Amino acid sequence: MIFEILAVGLIISAVLALFLDEVIYSVAALAGIFFFTALIFIEYNAIFAAIFTFSVGVGTLAVLFLSGEMLGDKPTKKTSPKRVGTLIGVGAVLSLPAIFLSVSGSSGTNSDLLFGDALWNIRGLDVVLQAFVILTVALGIVVVLYEKKKKGGQ
Amino acid sequence: MDFVILSLVMLAIGIYGLLTNRQLLKVFISVELIATAATLNFVMLASALGVGLGQALLILAFSTDTAVSGVILALLVIVSKKYGTSDISKILQTIHDKDESEVEA
Repeated sequence: MIFEILAVGLIISAVLALFLDEVIYSVAALAGIFFFTALIFIEYNAIFAAIFTFSVGVGTLAVLFLSGEMLGDKPTKKTSPKRVGTLIGVGAVLSLPAIFLSVSGSSGTNSDLLFGDALWNIRGLDVVLQAFVILTVALGIVVVLYEKKKKGGQ
Repeated sequence: MDFVILSLVMLAIGIYGLLTNRQLLKVFISVELIATAATLNFVMLASALGVGLGQALLILAFSTDTAVSGVILALLVIVSKKYGTSDISKILQTIHDKDESEVEA
C-alpha cells in the first residue's frame, strides 16, 4: 500500500515538473521527485541509495533554483489552479499502470554480499576513478565558463 | 516486481517531455527524469534480489548523472547568455535569421 501511494506521488510530481509553466514551480516539483524516489528506496531497504538520492537531489535543486530564477524565461500567464488540478489528475491516471500492473519475476535471491563489501572489494577502483571523473568534469566546466567570461570581457 | 512498470512510466514521461518541451531547463528536468527511472529500476531490482552490489553501482550511476547535469547546466548558461532566452524555438529562429542575413550580405 505504501509503495502505491509513493508511486502516485512520484508520477504526479514528474508530470507537474514537466508541464507547469513557471520554471521555479517545476523545480519545486522536481524536489518532490527526489523526495518520493528516496522514500521508495527506503521502503525497499536501500538506505544508502536513499541517502545518495537525498544528497544529490539537494545539490541539484540548489543549482536549479538559482539557474531557474536567472535563466528561465518569464511565462506570459500564471499557472491557474485548474491547470494544476488537471495535471494532478493526469499524473494520477498515469500512475494506474504502476499500481495495478506487475511484472512477474524471481525475487528474494538473498546473497551474502553486503553494501560495504560490494563497494570496496568489488568496485573499489571504480569508486576512486569516479572521483577523478567528477573532478575532471568540474574543471572542464570551470574552463568553459572562464573562456566564455574572458571572451565576453574583451 | 511493481517497480518495473513504475520506472517504465517514468521513462515514458521523461521521453515525452524531452521531445515536446521547448524550454532548456525543462529539457534538463526531462533528462533527470529519465536518469531517475533508470536508477529506480536498477536499485529496486538489486534490493528485491537482496544484492548489495546494486547500491554500490548506484554511486557510479549518480556520479555519471551529476557529471551530465553539470555539463548540461554549463551549456545552458552559455546558450542562454548568448541568445538571451532559454526557448529552443527562439534560439533556432535567431540562428536562422542570422544565417539569412549573412547570405544576403
